[in-house]
Amino acid sequence: MATTGLRFHPAAFFSARPRNARIGSYHNCKPHRILVARRTCLLRAKSSNGHPQINASFGNEVLGGKASGDGVPGQGGSTVSITVVGASGDLAKKKIFPALFALFYEDCLPEHFTVFGYARSKMSDEELRNMISMTLTCRIDKRENCGDKMEQFLQRCFYQSGLYNSEEGFAELDRKLKEKEAGKLPNRLFYLSIPPNIFVDVVRSASRTASSSSGWTRFIVEKPFGRDSESSGELTRSLKKYLAEEQIFRIDHYLGKELVENLSVLRFSNLVFEPLWSRNYIRNVQLIFSEDFGTEGRGGYFDNYGIIRDIMQNHLLQILALFAMETPVSLDAEDIRNEKVKVLRSMRQLKLEDVVVGQYKGHTRGGRSYPGYADDPTVPKGSITPTFAAAALFIDNARWDGVPFLMKAGKALHTRRAEIRVQFRRVPGNLYRRNIGTDLDKATNELVLRVQPDEAIYLKINNKVPGLGVRLDSSNLNLLYSERYRREIPDAYERLLLDAIEGERRLFIRSDELDAAWGIFTPVLRELEHKRVAPELYPYGSRGPVGAHYLAANYNVRWGDISSDESSH
Amino acid sequence: MALSCMRCPAGAAAAVSARRAVASPLTTLSFARCVFGRSAAAAGWRIDAVAPQGVKIPVDAAVENAVTPANPSKVENGTPSGITLDEFEDLIALSKNDDSTVSITVVGASGDLAKKKIFPALFALYYEDCLPKHFTIFGYARSKMTDAELKHMVSKTLTCRIDKRENCSEKMEEFLKRCFYHSGQYDSEEYFMELDKKLKQHEGSRVSNRLFYLSIPPNIFLDVVKCASKSASSVNGWTRVIVEKPFGRDSESSAALTRGLKQYLVEDQIFRIDHYLGKELVENLSVLRFSNLVFEPLWSRQYIKNVQLIFSEDFGTEGRGGYFDRYGIIRDIMQNHLLQILALFAMETPISLEAEDIRNEKVKVLRSMKPLQLEDVVIGQYKSHTKDGTTYTGYTDDKTVPKDSVTPTFAAAALFINNARWDGVPFLMKAGKALHTKRAEIRVQFRHVPGNLYKGSFSTDLDRATNELVIRVQPDEAIYLKINNKIPGLGMRLDRSNLNLHYAARYSKEIPDAYERLLLDAIEGERRLFIRSDELDAAWSLFTPVLKELEEKRIAAELYPYGSRGPVGAHYLAAKYNVRWGDLIAEHYKA
Repeated sequence: MATTGLRFHPAAFFSARPRNARIGSYHNCKPHRILVARRTCLLRAKSSNGHPQINASFGNEVLGGKASGDGVPGQGGSTVSITVVGASGDLAKKKIFPALFALFYEDCLPEHFTVFGYARSKMSDEELRNMISMTLTCRIDKRENCGDKMEQFLQRCFYQSGLYNSEEGFAELDRKLKEKEAGKLPNRLFYLSIPPNIFVDVVRSASRTASSSSGWTRFIVEKPFGRDSESSGELTRSLKKYLAEEQIFRIDHYLGKELVENLSVLRFSNLVFEPLWSRNYIRNVQLIFSEDFGTEGRGGYFDNYGIIRDIMQNHLLQILALFAMETPVSLDAEDIRNEKVKVLRSMRQLKLEDVVVGQYKGHTRGGRSYPGYADDPTVPKGSITPTFAAAALFIDNARWDGVPFLMKAGKALHTRRAEIRVQFRRVPGNLYRRNIGTDLDKATNELVLRVQPDEAIYLKINNKVPGLGVRLDSSNLNLLYSERYRREIPDAYERLLLDAIEGERRLFIRSDELDAAWGIFTPVLRELEHKRVAPELYPYGSRGPVGAHYLAANYNVRWGDISSDESSH
Repeated sequence: MALSCMRCPAGAAAAVSARRAVASPLTTLSFARCVFGRSAAAAGWRIDAVAPQGVKIPVDAAVENAVTPANPSKVENGTPSGITLDEFEDLIALSKNDDSTVSITVVGASGDLAKKKIFPALFALYYEDCLPKHFTIFGYARSKMTDAELKHMVSKTLTCRIDKRENCSEKMEEFLKRCFYHSGQYDSEEYFMELDKKLKQHEGSRVSNRLFYLSIPPNIFLDVVKCASKSASSVNGWTRVIVEKPFGRDSESSAALTRGLKQYLVEDQIFRIDHYLGKELVENLSVLRFSNLVFEPLWSRQYIKNVQLIFSEDFGTEGRGGYFDRYGIIRDIMQNHLLQILALFAMETPISLEAEDIRNEKVKVLRSMKPLQLEDVVIGQYKSHTKDGTTYTGYTDDKTVPKDSVTPTFAAAALFINNARWDGVPFLMKAGKALHTKRAEIRVQFRHVPGNLYKGSFSTDLDRATNELVIRVQPDEAIYLKINNKIPGLGMRLDRSNLNLHYAARYSKEIPDAYERLLLDAIEGERRLFIRSDELDAAWSLFTPVLKELEEKRIAAELYPYGSRGPVGAHYLAAKYNVRWGDLIAEHYKA
């Protein structure tokens, strides 16, 4: 049993997650409740083999220590109210409520909490509960009491209808929240699951009339954070009229993915990777995202943004920054985000010639027709919005000078996948060059982090094919998560919600990061739109436009995902 | 099967070689020949560049008859480039020509090794079409036996490696037809002259190449070499002698043996076999090191904390302790097998993959090593143990072992290489009989991450959460790299997982026995995996002082129960150099 190895104060677990104790006003988070909760949910995380994990046995930050800032009431004296604004929307139903329930089920929520749905439609509490209950599932079927737990959770869910730009609606919400909070120290989290054009209205109304008087008030915002540098800057300025930077939690759910979290662990806790992580050894890095479906009747939002804004400028760029950053001073959120900003600011602005855009067209296969993007009734007929893009980016710093970072993202491709591929240089003066063939670059090492599906890490190495000859072959050193860890991997939203509740900002995007990110992409996005650059069409379900290969070839790169389909498994 | 016939040029190459030697005795390159044959086999229709400029001409070019095309050339998919199609077809034709022959004489044919390993390996090579088209196998021993009796004896041990294959029994029949027996004394030239006569009959007018495999006790090595070389050497081809350990008991006796052999043979005729060097993963060690960039920066004292070479058997001498008792585990395993692996692991990058270049580098490592000190050795001897009603006898209970024997059946040692790459890195060896498991592996433990950001997630001992590269030679060949990663879940807990390459899962093909590879290499004149005299000298000089001291002082071995993990002394030795044996921790940890 993993638990047998836990021979230290429970509080130690709390500090296992780096905390930023320096931002005083945001340390109103009552560590006490959460602490107990977090311990339990951490204990649950054990590896499938049942062996003890590496034990944490540090404990400099203990219960009731400096973490509890201002006048903390005693036992059970604080509460968290989570208001999902836009409760009837898709994201809320599919992701947010289920994630909250999962946290509750795992005992990760504070003992006292309230969940409020807020939207314009009229609904009773009971109707909201009905709606939510339809999407809740007990993550691990075999577990007991799931039905009971669900019932308990639903009892804490309420609904308030109101307009998004109305202070009255939020004042009403505030009254109801106060009832539920019942004199406990109130902390409030607003999750804005609403279209971007009403972000500011909601923030204004909610912050003015429904902020916590004595606890913290935080806002989770989802992309899009503007369409370019200007609109994003404008949004940030508006938000900051009502909120301090530390209250804004910009979510990028890719940062909550298990393997993205693991990226830093791999880099910074394994000596074997340390000397490799630079231009001296790495030839190129590929960040690949693909979906095997199109907009499917929901192109209204997408058409306004396109794949570059939807995937590259945020998800892929964030992963790139984590991958490429220098070692931070500590694992504190500000230290990590400082390093990420440095990377982003060292990057060259993306140029039009380093971008390939594509759009999927209709395709008939096996008697079935898949509609093209422009056939989608929610998409304007002549749309040139890219549903696919490939780009070559460069970081002009000492570590990465000259190393191409290639990104590729697309919808309606042949596979669903998100991965990071690191291709190493060839062995200088390779003794075995005769066994490799003319293209030495085809026999290089490659490290692959597969974020989804089937989380895995593998390192391609050359080894000898068993037998009497000396024939080389590329094999994988493998770690397949599903084999090693039986436990279901929590959804990114669970992690991010929990972090927001705990005030852990590591995985959220700071304003200056966002500015830097837009700075890289804005010029090329403008140019694409001004010049109305036509995307290369590719059939639904294909491997995307061939232009991506030519772009890669420009920088002497081969896409690892496509060659690997053929040569290995 | 396309692959296995394409492998045949290996054997055929010998024929090519012989022919070409007559035509153009210009460039001679045994390794290139092997590459020609083998990679052609492996890669389908692909013959890789054969003889790059500046290749070394083996010293024994006069004796050797290996030949390669003079120009670097490459043939892919049947489209030759560099050499013309005519030349290419000529080569193929030559490979089918049978104007040279190899005669393999197994001296000590009735012995255990011959029966269990040598004849089966020869058959496997034959089955795979790796032997030259014309070959003859002779058994030689003192006992009277007819050819038919030898064939019968051999046939009992032959197996068709992969059962599903066809024609196995036919092949076996054909193979046995080429096997003959000659009985004679080991120290009599007359008998070897008779053998020579018989060999000549079989060889006919072909260029004759002769390989003698000495599967006999060391005390008669010299007699046999003298008689065989004087009266049964090939007149127009090569003559090579394969010798098995022990190569002496210490520096002096080993040097005496080498001097003795060299009275009758030149260095290039002597093939000292260390069958560990023929193991798949030992061969792969160089491939891993030199064809993967990711390992290159790691391979030094800067990143490697220590290296462990571990060998264990799960059985004792079991009534066959006569030989062992005179040598002990240090001579039997460490001084040769483990030290050879160490040298391959630690050597600098050789100029090429040629035998002499590799062996030069190995000698350099051995000569940079500090002779082993008594305080860096722990020895043990197994005692009897009763488990689940079965009693396992102790070493000294073995009837073939003297009652008061202090011969170690277990040893652990710490060795150091005083060169720029490895200064201060402990190389720990551990070898033992009658332990809890059968295993041979190389473990490379890396240093801890300096200024580890996640130190809070490890226990106080950062050295316990370091990376480790494991190359498991046997059983279940595998390579894995232990890395730290995050346990999936909402917390931030770290865990050690393996990046794995398990051979059985990746390669369904049976891995050839070490003896097959080594016999084939000897036939092809590929010396990479054989031990040169100066290597042997260097190896002995590391161990001789401590072996003498152990014997002179009659140092008592620490007893350990049969089937246990060995004496605890090994842990204290490791602790002295701040090392933990990875194999014993791993069992608690590993999935």
